[in-house]
Amino acid sequence: MAEEKKGRAVATKTAASIPKFVRGNLAATLKAKEEGKKVAYAYIADGQDEIMRAMDIVPAWGESFAGVCAAKRDAEKYLQKAESDNFSRSLCTYATCTIGFDMVREELGGGAVPDAPWGGMGRPDMILGSAQLLCDPRFKWPQATQHYLRDVPVFVGSMYYPPFDPKMDHHEQEKFYVKYATEELRECVKFCEKHTGKKMDWDRLAQIVELSDRTWDLFIDTYELRKAFPTPMDTGDAMNTMVPLTFNLGTQEAYDFYKQLYDELQQKIANGEGVADPEKYRLIWAAGLPSWFALGDFQYFNSKGAVFPVEVTYRGCEKIERLELPKTNDPLEHIAWRWVRYWTHWYDKARKRPGSLPKVERIIEYIEEYKCDGVVFHSAFSCRSWHAGIIHQAETLKKVYREIPILILEGDIVDISSYNEADTHNRIDAFIEAVDSYKKRMN
Amino acid sequence: MAFFLGIDVGSGYTKAVVCEDTSLRSYSIIPSGGDYRKAALESSENALKKINISMSDISNTIATGYGAAIVDFARQTLSDISCHAIGINYLFPSVRTVIDIGAQYSRAIHLDSEGRIVNFIMNEKCAGGSGKFLQVTARILQMDIKDLGRLSLTSEKPVEFTTACAVFAESEAVSRISEGALPADIVAGIHKAMSSKIIVLATRVGLVPDYAVTGGGAKDIGLVRAIEKELKTNTFVAQEPQITAALGAAIFASSR
Repeated sequence: MAEEKKGRAVATKTAASIPKFVRGNLAATLKAKEEGKKVAYAYIADGQDEIMRAMDIVPAWGESFAGVCAAKRDAEKYLQKAESDNFSRSLCTYATCTIGFDMVREELGGGAVPDAPWGGMGRPDMILGSAQLLCDPRFKWPQATQHYLRDVPVFVGSMYYPPFDPKMDHHEQEKFYVKYATEELRECVKFCEKHTGKKMDWDRLAQIVELSDRTWDLFIDTYELRKAFPTPMDTGDAMNTMVPLTFNLGTQEAYDFYKQLYDELQQKIANGEGVADPEKYRLIWAAGLPSWFALGDFQYFNSKGAVFPVEVTYRGCEKIERLELPKTNDPLEHIAWRWVRYWTHWYDKARKRPGSLPKVERIIEYIEEYKCDGVVFHSAFSCRSWHAGIIHQAETLKKVYREIPILILEGDIVDISSYNEADTHNRIDAFIEAVDSYKKRMN
Repeated sequence: MAFFLGIDVGSGYTKAVVCEDTSLRSYSIIPSGGDYRKAALESSENALKKINISMSDISNTIATGYGAAIVDFARQTLSDISCHAIGINYLFPSVRTVIDIGAQYSRAIHLDSEGRIVNFIMNEKCAGGSGKFLQVTARILQMDIKDLGRLSLTSEKPVEFTTACAVFAESEAVSRISEGALPADIVAGIHKAMSSKIIVLATRVGLVPDYAVTGGGAKDIGLVRAIEKELKTNTFVAQEPQITAALGAAIFASSR
């Protein structure tokens, strides 16, 4: 039985519109057929958002739907369905949740699934994957899905960026990666043209890419307002306000959302309104997807006077001018440059500090800019791409930066069976006490 | 002179400590069972009775541990990690690394020179380095858990376990019994596997001497010796290591 959790008491007003966004995205996949539009299964941070938007393809985001199932504590039936066909619980639970949902929908004839959280996702006409360095299930998830959707064509592109090597200047290599990524995007366009029967409108794509750039800038301008004391918004909210950037990039609605959020945060700062009253400790959410079924834990932190003015997770963009993108008239090449430069943005800094890593440099930058007193990671066992490197990041941070208190929470993104609230709160209590003692020591 | 009560409601046992100012006067340890509040009351009453005082004589009560939130007669709760730190700093001020082996969890706590927490780490959701592993071992050998430590010290050839997982080690131990391995060697092997897992955990907060081993697991002399072997040095162990967090809670209560 699904269990509804109460909303966050300290949420910004703008964030309250997020459920409408998510419901709207899901509903769009269900009514696409009536509107003569094609639906594509899509995966976040794959660089293909603008192509889909320019071709009027409606994205169906598995990660978003799985997150909704988890937040409503109603994912178990889909996880079990996938498990019944031998998908291990240790696989990505975003993938297994949506594959389980696909299995149920196919058994029902491919139409709407009764009792699916927020109506579920519409059956896709195509699957647009992108196997890249972000996450290893991206290589096989689309093909595994096709096992149940035999008639649905699959495209899996490859968007890569240079790996970090402290002895090598990646700028020498990046143009090759950009060329490769551009060609992959071009293949994606060809695939979409073939399966929609439409030609790409390149001027429209250029306009959408330009809108995305402006959204990236506005997103960062908005989030940087959180440097204020007390911070007007914390990660508990950011796990919701990431939705337009992550799932609606290249749309006017996404841009307008951040404009509204920007205005609200400015107002909060002017009024001296903070997330916690009083704000005693400032923390960074340094890595890891959250447990969507336990977002209330952010409020537990808040109840202790702890706030998160910054997080790495879902901050999937940077100010365009800081990326110093070479000029090009090809929108696909622009996307490729933006992609490569974003993912390598902290490489130069990392090379300058012996023993450091780009991910650690990013954390250090945020600790300094947002004046953080402690670091929290979340190790979600089924998400190997985050889980695998967290201890190494934490240890490197202590080694190259300073002995700042670090908490590594353990759980999962979707699978609630891994979660123990009492244990989590016990860890948070001890961590807050450690941060308090750290602050006293530093003062 | 005033009395202070510290209560540690652990998943296995509930411990109550009464201090007169900052001097330990009495304590009680009882199984937590299924009713944490009842266990907290009962252990508190036991400890109070030992020195002929009642709850009305207590100036302040602090609760800690897994079931701390249920202790409604405590004025405040404090995490068991902080309480262990306070308790150990009170007993052994030179200690910088505390290894706590509880029924469900093992933890390592790094303290600064003033006994404040610098960092801490808990084991993942795994019984491999916790008291649960000892309970499993005692069950399969049909022994009292209290006898494991001394038996382990008599081992001449500890069994090499290929796993530090309590579940897999259980089946491995059963196989070794059927192969004729001596109980002492099996227990010593389990202690070795546990200590190795615990030290890997402690290394992540930094191994800084002096060391203390605390919690119910510290009552197992075989496990303590195995940890000392891994650390290549002696450790501090309190006379009654199971009450360290409750003691820390009582000391904290006296400072409020």
